[in-house]
Amino acid sequence: MTQYSMVIDLQKCVGCGACAIACKTENNTQDRSSEQTFNWADFIFVEKGKFPEMQYAIYPVLCNHCSDPPCVVVCPVYPRAMYKMENGITMQNEERCIGCQSCQDACPYSERGVDRAFYGYSVISFNATEPNAFYTDDSELLPGMTSSGKAVSDAAGATPPHKTAIEHEDYNAVRQRGIIEKCIFCAHRVEKGLLPACVEACPAEARIFGDRHDPESDVSHLLLTHKARRLRNNRADFLTPEQRGHLPNVFYINDYMLPERIVYEDENFRKERP
Amino acid sequence: MKIKRRDFLRISGITGASLAMRLPALNAFAAKQGDSGETSENNAAYPVTGKWIPSTCQSCTSWCPIEIYVQEGRAVKVRGNQLCKANHGYCCPKGHMNLQLVYDPDRIKTPLKRTNPEKGRGVDPKFVPISWDEAMSTTAEKLVELRNNGESHKFLLMRGRYSTTTRNIAYGRFPEIYGSPNNISHSAICAEGEKFGPYYTEGFWGYRDYDLANTKYLLIWGCDPLSSNRQLPNVIHRFDHLLRNATVAVVDPRFSTSAAKGHHWIPIKPGEDGALALAIAHVILTEGLWSKEFVGDFTDGRNRFAADQEVDENLFEENHTHGLVRWWNLELRDKGPEWAARKTGISEEMIVKTAVDMGRAAPHVAVWLGPGPVMSPRGAYTSTAIHSLNGLLGSADNKGGTIRQPSVPIGSLPAADRYIDDTAKTGRKHTKIDQRGTKKFPAMARGVPGSGVVTNNVPNAILQEDPYEIKAAIGYWNNFNFSGHETRRWDEAMAKIPFYVQVTTHPSEMAQFADIVLPAPLHPFEQMNIMNSGANTHAHVSIQQPLIKRLWDTKPFETEIMWVLAEKMKEKGFANLFDYFSKEFKDPEIGATPTNATEFAEISAKIFSKPVWAPEKELPGDKIDGWQAFKEKGIYNSPPYQFRRMWGNFGTATKKFEFYSETLKKSLSEHAKNHNTDVDDILAATGYTAAGERAFVPHYEPPLRVDDESRYPLVFIDYKSRLNGEGRSQNSPWYYEFKKVDLGDERWDDVVKINPEDGRKIGIETGDTVRITSMVGSITVTAKLWEGVCPGTVTKCFGQGHWAYGRLAAKDYKNAVPRGGNNNDLIPDVYEPLSGSSARNGGFFGVRIEKA
Repeated sequence: MTQYSMVIDLQKCVGCGACAIACKTENNTQDRSSEQTFNWADFIFVEKGKFPEMQYAIYPVLCNHCSDPPCVVVCPVYPRAMYKMENGITMQNEERCIGCQSCQDACPYSERGVDRAFYGYSVISFNATEPNAFYTDDSELLPGMTSSGKAVSDAAGATPPHKTAIEHEDYNAVRQRGIIEKCIFCAHRVEKGLLPACVEACPAEARIFGDRHDPESDVSHLLLTHKARRLRNNRADFLTPEQRGHLPNVFYINDYMLPERIVYEDENFRKERP
Repeated sequence: MKIKRRDFLRISGITGASLAMRLPALNAFAAKQGDSGETSENNAAYPVTGKWIPSTCQSCTSWCPIEIYVQEGRAVKVRGNQLCKANHGYCCPKGHMNLQLVYDPDRIKTPLKRTNPEKGRGVDPKFVPISWDEAMSTTAEKLVELRNNGESHKFLLMRGRYSTTTRNIAYGRFPEIYGSPNNISHSAICAEGEKFGPYYTEGFWGYRDYDLANTKYLLIWGCDPLSSNRQLPNVIHRFDHLLRNATVAVVDPRFSTSAAKGHHWIPIKPGEDGALALAIAHVILTEGLWSKEFVGDFTDGRNRFAADQEVDENLFEENHTHGLVRWWNLELRDKGPEWAARKTGISEEMIVKTAVDMGRAAPHVAVWLGPGPVMSPRGAYTSTAIHSLNGLLGSADNKGGTIRQPSVPIGSLPAADRYIDDTAKTGRKHTKIDQRGTKKFPAMARGVPGSGVVTNNVPNAILQEDPYEIKAAIGYWNNFNFSGHETRRWDEAMAKIPFYVQVTTHPSEMAQFADIVLPAPLHPFEQMNIMNSGANTHAHVSIQQPLIKRLWDTKPFETEIMWVLAEKMKEKGFANLFDYFSKEFKDPEIGATPTNATEFAEISAKIFSKPVWAPEKELPGDKIDGWQAFKEKGIYNSPPYQFRRMWGNFGTATKKFEFYSETLKKSLSEHAKNHNTDVDDILAATGYTAAGERAFVPHYEPPLRVDDESRYPLVFIDYKSRLNGEGRSQNSPWYYEFKKVDLGDERWDDVVKINPEDGRKIGIETGDTVRITSMVGSITVTAKLWEGVCPGTVTKCFGQGHWAYGRLAAKDYKNAVPRGGNNNDLIPDVYEPLSGSSARNGGFFGVRIEKA
């Protein structure tokens, strides 16, 4: 059976941010509000060490589409709003979602109150208020002279004005108040033979997407030839080889910084610096 | 096995037929005329119809050919132009951010008129909306009145960003026919120091390209090409290849993305870059690692370059270079690694290793000269020193080396001679307002003293009324009150100009000083234009086209506003500009002349781009059949760059790569002659320490601190954000949400990064609100203790600190309270005068930080 998965090559990734913004344009996710990020693709960062021997890493993060997903287990509605598709995507059906946030609490990569969290990232976000306040506000900075969010939406004919009109049986192009949302691996694209938006947008081609159960796939090939890591939580801790976690399907290979990297400073000199 | 994303289709079992549908060219360009133009996303299966339409992003100077997906009249997604060889079909994050710029709620909808005569930062202009007719009428009246009074030279035209083609209309012909010498570009706050080194060594005044596919050693010097510096998608795309096939070393006092990702980070002491470059050159010579093919050799093959030893010039026979031994004798012989280690903080051993590794990789070495070390007082000789390494290693204009862009054909403007009257000629004879060419500002662009712009000196000149008073001005696609260093001078100068017109998309800082504000369209979406640029050994010509309905009542300056302004000036009695536009611009397909502003813009675009879609003789590179095909493809790609064509034919006085620059000698001597003095005196007047023959070779200049170190102890380093869009993206929520992608930065905040050691000393902790004070100003931002910054220095990203521009850009627009802080409020008005550059990347001044 198909298990769509993603491999992120950290050596290729330069942390530019293109994937995360491309995701927002594809999936019409709103701006941060009510301590929710609505960033289906995001980044977490790790820093260690002292100048100039600093260790730094950027991890692009997204829903891990776990094979043993706690978000599905805890979903209280029947049929479940959060469920596994046959292709391995952890899908949310918006119509059935009651916005109880049980999934957000159960997911080790998600949390409420993300603004106060150090890593500031959650796979699952909750629409506590009417979305897209930025583009529904009708106030004008200079009345009659500058535009407003609402005027822009009206002129473009959609909210948000750059709304990509995507169609899928489980979800709408734009979310509504009272439901949760998360990365769905761009199911509307994948089902039509297109790559997820973040994969297609990556200028470094650091994201590789495919069926992990197909031994011929690029993903399978990379997993065979690299030591791959999987995240344990949204704080950049990784599962040890013995840990199974919830069997996430997003894998990280290589390192953001080269292991053999050398810093050229003269230590004695540094002590004399101003 | 090389993994290609395109393989996804194969592996996911898509049939051959639909794979073919996905190839970019087939669908989009199969659209016939008369067709609705709506196709699916290059794939019949994409859920909702739409069309990728090509355009060009100008959010930085990469000028990336892009495509924008248009659904139901909306621009909804962005990607690189799939046909583009310079960006591999990708755009950077800024490409995607264009959507929030075009759909920004705070864009100006209509022309505005100021009703409050008082001008200043924080003074409400009390704008009211007016019609284009009134706006043009008022502007035309002022301009014609100046002309009639014989004061056309007192009109100032300021340009920020621009189109590479239509600038010839607005920035070229308009002041020429009107009669003002004052077309002032932003270039000197951007790049001129970077051009100085390549020009005075190999005669090239422009942006370099690098053959990254074939380089074996990439030395990135004073910039972060993964975040900025003109070919972002190419570098991001190529970086893994570089890490696998080349050595990547990064010279930067700041822990940048490139510094993190490269093989070697060389965290140099700010301002000492020249010392490192000279020592690398010294080692290349003493170790005998220079390119014998390019540079030549001792006639008997025995290397006589040994530390401190003078060498007899007659013993060395040079090939494509000039003055190697003289450079050695005048400068290099005592500039060894031991000397440089003391200056730079880089160990002797590592300096030697760098030089030796580079020598072994030669000639496939690219020395990527960034702005950091050269947009700096005394940066001119650092620029020549660093670029000279390309000469020593034979990598100049060579495979795997530092190259130029191939040329692409661009149509030329119709002649304007008969429209330039005596008033215009007289007006043009006045010296330019920026004081270029005066003794202290040689500004020697392309070898000619006084030919380069000194952008940031304009407010000084306006305030001093030297050489004269400015009575009217227009500024377009610029925001010097934000982007010029020591901003307060711009505030004072702009308040002094009696009549100012600002062309802008947003209520910018500079617009607060305007009498008339003219709303501009967003360039990739709402206007027709032609651009040219290049990277990855290719150059291209690309289109910008209106692909959504213009949201508001806007016009682009270089074409449509030019037309309506010319029309109004004709009504007021000055017809030449309009006559030139309306009679001489002919549609290259049908010969028709324009009858309105939109036609004028389209005809201009056709004139400039015609050589690529209807070439007179066979054009190598992409074949494009006609204007319609060009609009659909959006790009013409040149063939790849031909290496070594410049060898023996460099644009210098000797046609050689000049280590001893006869070209610089000629220019400096000419400038000295203009001021009845000698070169030594000129160097002293421009802040340099060298004298005599050393003036003509890359040499060491001690870094200059312009302030009192005891009062401003922490050296300030400025750098650019990968999301900046040249200071225009700060009203976009995505900018703040993803600000953290700039190393060390925080989402929704503007942080000054301080080494924890220094933080402890001055009692500052992460999260503290702090006041940063330099010799010229103060800003208030958040402190962050960060190990990525060297003790003794602090660093902050440029970009935030708008006190106008929009509701998100400013913390409180009405009261002119900035969100974060503008580095330019801190950076003193200092120059590298030989190029006219503003010093901007820091290292030459310090700050004091205290809890606010």
